[in-house]
Amino acid sequence: MTDITPFDDRPDAALGARIRAALDRPGIEALVARVRGALVEADSPWDVLARWAPRGLVAAAAAAAVLWFLMPAPAPAPVPGPIASAPVQMEVSPGQAEAVVLTVALLEGR
Amino acid sequence: MEEAGLARRAAGGDSEAFGALVERYAPAARRVAGAILGPGDEADDAVQDGFLAAWKAIARFDPDRAFRPWLMRVVANAARDLHRRRKVRQAGELPEHAASRDPLPDRAADHSLFRDTLRAALETLPERQRIAVVLFDAEGYGHAEIAEVLQVPEGTVRSYVFHARRALRQALGAFREDDA
Repeated sequence: MTDITPFDDRPDAALGARIRAALDRPGIEALVARVRGALVEADSPWDVLARWAPRGLVAAAAAAAVLWFLMPAPAPAPVPGPIASAPVQMEVSPGQAEAVVLTVALLEGR
Repeated sequence: MEEAGLARRAAGGDSEAFGALVERYAPAARRVAGAILGPGDEADDAVQDGFLAAWKAIARFDPDRAFRPWLMRVVANAARDLHRRRKVRQAGELPEHAASRDPLPDRAADHSLFRDTLRAALETLPERQRIAVVLFDAEGYGHAEIAEVLQVPEGTVRSYVFHARRALRQALGAFREDDA
């Protein structure tokens, strides 16, 4: 190992090689195959859905927002004019006015 | 293909790209897991758990950031979880020959003794120092990357590496260069 100072920012290649030798084991290909197999097994349709759900929701929200901006606004419904300005024509036959007055008087207890 | 391109494709759900990343980083992941659990079957279990966890969380990975610190953090966490769950190794547990370096190894000391001693010396280190020195010296990670893996400031990483190296040098001091 090379001399190392507290401020040495360089990796110690000799120490690194020895650490790798101490921690390495044969059979890395078998481990890779095992991990790849586990990944295939773990990837059920629900896992795929779960992985894509957040992005799908974001995409759907973005698409909805774009559509909302692009859709033509609906034509405004005709606004009725003020009631007071509507012409009112009442035809009152003779005697009808007296009947109304009588009804109101009865209702008010007079 | 470059790491960034593979990571971007993997983050988009491309399992083949993720498989290529598994192949690329399995040796380093195994050493990091081995630094936490000791090299063995449990380290391999942790590597598998780590890669599975990374794949399940790949949608949360930001492809504009470096992939390997993110991956190593996931693998290290998987190894720590395994360590906590199984409690297979106790802190300070050392083989006899590593706990005391006397008498000095003679010329016949073989490579496996050196390796065992280095492993044992690694085990005596605090876990974060162990991960830091393995990533820095054995895997060539920068301080910033290790800081991301360990979620600590860069200055803390420098301190971890320094103390770990000093402890390893002390533990291995009795060996000559050609014993290694």
